[in-house]
Parts: sequence; structure tokens; C-alpha cells
Amino acid sequence: MTPKIAIHGLDFYYGANHALKSITLDFPERQVSALIGPSGCGKSTLLRCLNRMYDLYPGQHATGEVMMDGMNVIGPGVDVDLLRSRVGMVFQKPTPFPMSIRENIAFGVRLHERPSRAEMEERVEWSLTRAALWDEVKDRLHTPATGLSGGQQQRLCIARTIAVRPEVILFDEPTSALDPISTLKVEELIDELKRDFTIAMVTHNMQQAARVADQVAFFYLGEMVEVASATTMFTAPREKRTQDYITGRFG
Amino acid sequence: MSGAALTGEEAPFPQREAARLGRMRRRRMQSLLGWGLCALGFGLLAFAMGWILLLVLLRGISALTPKVFLEVTQGTGGGLLNAIEGTLLIGAGSMLLAVPLGVAAGMYAAQFKHSWFASAIRFMADVLVGVPSIVLGYFGYITMVEGLGWQFSLAAACITIAILCLPYICRTTELALSQVPAAMQEAAFALGAGEGRVAWRIALPVAMPGILTGVLLAFAISVGETAPLIYTAGWSSYLWNGQLVRSPVGYLTYAIWAFINEPFASANALAYAAALLVTLIVLLISIAARLVLLRRQGAR
Repeated sequence: MTPKIAIHGLDFYYGANHALKSITLDFPERQVSALIGPSGCGKSTLLRCLNRMYDLYPGQHATGEVMMDGMNVIGPGVDVDLLRSRVGMVFQKPTPFPMSIRENIAFGVRLHERPSRAEMEERVEWSLTRAALWDEVKDRLHTPATGLSGGQQQRLCIARTIAVRPEVILFDEPTSALDPISTLKVEELIDELKRDFTIAMVTHNMQQAARVADQVAFFYLGEMVEVASATTMFTAPREKRTQDYITGRFG
Repeated sequence: MSGAALTGEEAPFPQREAARLGRMRRRRMQSLLGWGLCALGFGLLAFAMGWILLLVLLRGISALTPKVFLEVTQGTGGGLLNAIEGTLLIGAGSMLLAVPLGVAAGMYAAQFKHSWFASAIRFMADVLVGVPSIVLGYFGYITMVEGLGWQFSLAAACITIAILCLPYICRTTELALSQVPAAMQEAAFALGAGEGRVAWRIALPVAMPGILTGVLLAFAISVGETAPLIYTAGWSSYLWNGQLVRSPVGYLTYAIWAFINEPFASANALAYAAALLVTLIVLLISIAARLVLLRRQGAR
């Protein structure tokens, strides 16, 4: 299978701190890849390379190759705003904007397109439906998004991200601030979204990785120790460090 | 509750128990002391404010006749219509100048907080806050009233007060913007929004109650200022004639300052009426600012 994103020899620095060391990793198209590892191992950093989030902070830089459809994402001359419309991101804490539910979705769409009113309505319904939120909010699209529950807010953030119609979606611990029922909903959602999107997800929850991911990569101290299918990873890991981590011996 | 369970007859470690009780007593004393100091501070403030309000209210209320609102000043009598109009004009005019500039400077300082220009803005704002208002008035007098030949005028008054209010608006804007959650801004960037879009559509609306509060408080300052206006606005017993320069304007604080020592009862009454009006306007603005802030907290 051709990878959607192919990382080769990626190094990342927070100032002088060498946070990612020569990472090589593929993200297969329309699959869920989970990144696991103890805090500070570089998995979130890797995620933030894929949409150049690190650009926001002076002193952070990456070298190497992150190829997506023949383009080096971290190379010079990349239109970062356009890249971020192709690589969406959902964060750990729900971050609804202080506007109505509808406007939260329209905000992202309007950044890249000029849809007619009818098209926008359609897009709002489509994305909310895909995010399994439509039935809960369809009668209050014009009320503030901050009035939703945490789980609903996170699904709104997912809807907002897919409304831009990206090709890749990055999830940075998307359920660590949610209750078990909301977590289940988001997991089901990710499973359903992989039919159309390539998904990369950082998680601290081994069960979650086992439930949702097709491929799992284990990171430790800025290095990628091992990557394998979820089944292999959780039943027969190659490396001792991986085994120690997934069985809870450290981390 | 768990403490009571532990202190039961068979407390296993009597020395530890004694130490725990001592600690508790000490903490209770410290807490009591803290509360006492707070109450004292509150009492002093409330007493001072209550006294001022009461005095102004008692003397002002009887002086506050319809005539005050309907007539202009005549010598040491008449009404205060000219001063009320002038105070509102100076307030509005100075805000017209200071709000766009101050908010823009604050936005810049918040957005590019590590740039040398942002620290320059911050430094200058801090210095400006410390400049006595009478010095600003003298500055306005030399540069505009004399230097540009504007004489006592609305323009000179508005610009001087605008300079006075600028640092407050700038710093509250910066503060309000820097409190916008970084995660929210990151989320907007992650959708592909540019810097300008994030600043205008995300950060500014979130920070708006804070900015508005700063603007309202600056407005209150402009209503209460006296010294810089004596040097720049002059005084006029007539209504504003539409001229920006070469035409002095009246204002409420002048009426307090000038009429309180006059030997005429009519003049003293005007001073107390003006004092009551200024106090009421400032009080109303402060309450409005509080309400704006409260609404923000409610919305979160």
C-alpha cells in the first residue's frame, strides 16, 4: 500500500534540545496510525511536524523529509495555510471558538472557499453528521458552542476539522479530557472516518491504540523504537523496551 | 471528620496528635489575622468612598435643579449645560483618538510580544502612566495652545486627554489579548487561518470585554481630569460653537475647581452640582465596566 505520508530522516529541535532523532515512518493511506510512548518521547512533536504547527514558535525547527503526495511538507516554499487545510488537527482539550455552533464550522470553511449560503448549510450538516453530532445540535445551530458538553465540544472540533475537507487528520490525545462514554463515541468516529481520511493519533491509552489503530509506532526518548500492525505490536513486540512499555513496566 | 476519628480515645501517636493540634491552632490564628487585615482594608476603603459619596450627594442633590441641565453658566450662577456638553465632547473626542491608537498598539504588543518594538511600546506606556497629568497639560499648552496657535480649544483638550488615556487602553488591550487561551488560537491556525484572521476573528472577540473595560475606565479618567484641561480647554460659559480650535470649552471639573472657593452661594451650589454629576458619571461608567466583565465570566 502506498503511504499517504512518508517520513524520512526527520530531526526536530526545540532550540538546542534534540527532540526527534532521525525518524523514518510511513502513514498508510486511509488507515489509523497510533503513536504511543511515555510523556516527552516526541510523539506529539511528530504530529506537529505534519501540519507545521511548530512554525508558530520561534526557535523550533525540523530537518529531513516529510513527503506528502510528492511534496516535502517541512521544506521551504510550502504554503502553510494550504497545507493545514489538507492536514487537519484535533487537540487534547476541546477548543470551541466563542461563536455559534454553525459559525464554528463556517469559520474554517470560509478560510479556503467561498461557498454559497445553501452550500454552507449543506456543509455544516454534512460535517456535523459525519462527526455524529448533528442530531444533538440541529435545533440549536445558532447557540454558542461553549454551551455544549465537553464530549460534544470535541465532536464539534472534529466536525470543524473535517468541514475543511482535509486528506489527513491528526488527533493529539483526543479523548484524554473526555469521560468514557464520550471517549467511546470519538473512538467509533475515528474508526468510521478512516474510510475517507488518513489518520494519525497520539494516545496514552494502550487499549485505545489496540481498539482503533491499524498501525502502531512506539516512541522513546525522541527515537522511534518500533512500528508494527496493532496486532503484532500488542501480542509480539520485537523490542524489549516496547514490551516493557505496553505491559506497563515503565512509562 | 477523619480527624475526629483519629483523635478517638485510642489515638495511637499522642505526640503526633499534639503537634497536629498545635499546627491547626497556628493555622487558625494566621487565617484569622488574614481575614482581619482584609476586613480592615475593606472597611477603610468603604468608609472613604462612603464619605465622599455621602458628602457629594448631600450637598449636590439640593443643588441639582432642572436649571443645571437647561441653562448655561452666567457669571457665578446659572446652570451647567455648557460644562456637561464640554465634558462629554472632550470625553468622546479623546476616546475617538485614543481608542484606535491604544487598541492597535496593544494588539501589536500582544501579537509580537518578543519584538523590541513591543517592549518599546510597553516601556513608553509605563512611563506615560507615571507622568503627572498637570505636566501633560503644560505640554499641551506649550505645543498646541501656544506652539500651533490653537489657543484654548477642544482640539488641544482632546489630544491632551487622549495622550493621558492612551497607555491605559494600550496596556489593558495587551493584557486582555494575552489572556486569550493559546490552545484556541492554535486551533484556528490548525484550520489554516493566517495571523491576521486569528487576531481579528478569534483573539479580538474573546478579549473584547477586557478591552471594553479598559476603554470605559479611560473614559472615566477623561471625565474626571482637571489639571490638563485648565491648560488646554480653558473655560467657556457658552455652548460649543462647532470650532475645533481657537474657541475654549467648559467642563464640569472646572466648575468644581473654580466655584468652590467663590464667596457666592450660587457658585458653591454649582460646584457641588458639578461634583455630584462627575461622581455619578464615573460611578455609572465603573458599574458598566463591571457589568461587561461579569457578562464575560457568565459566558465562559
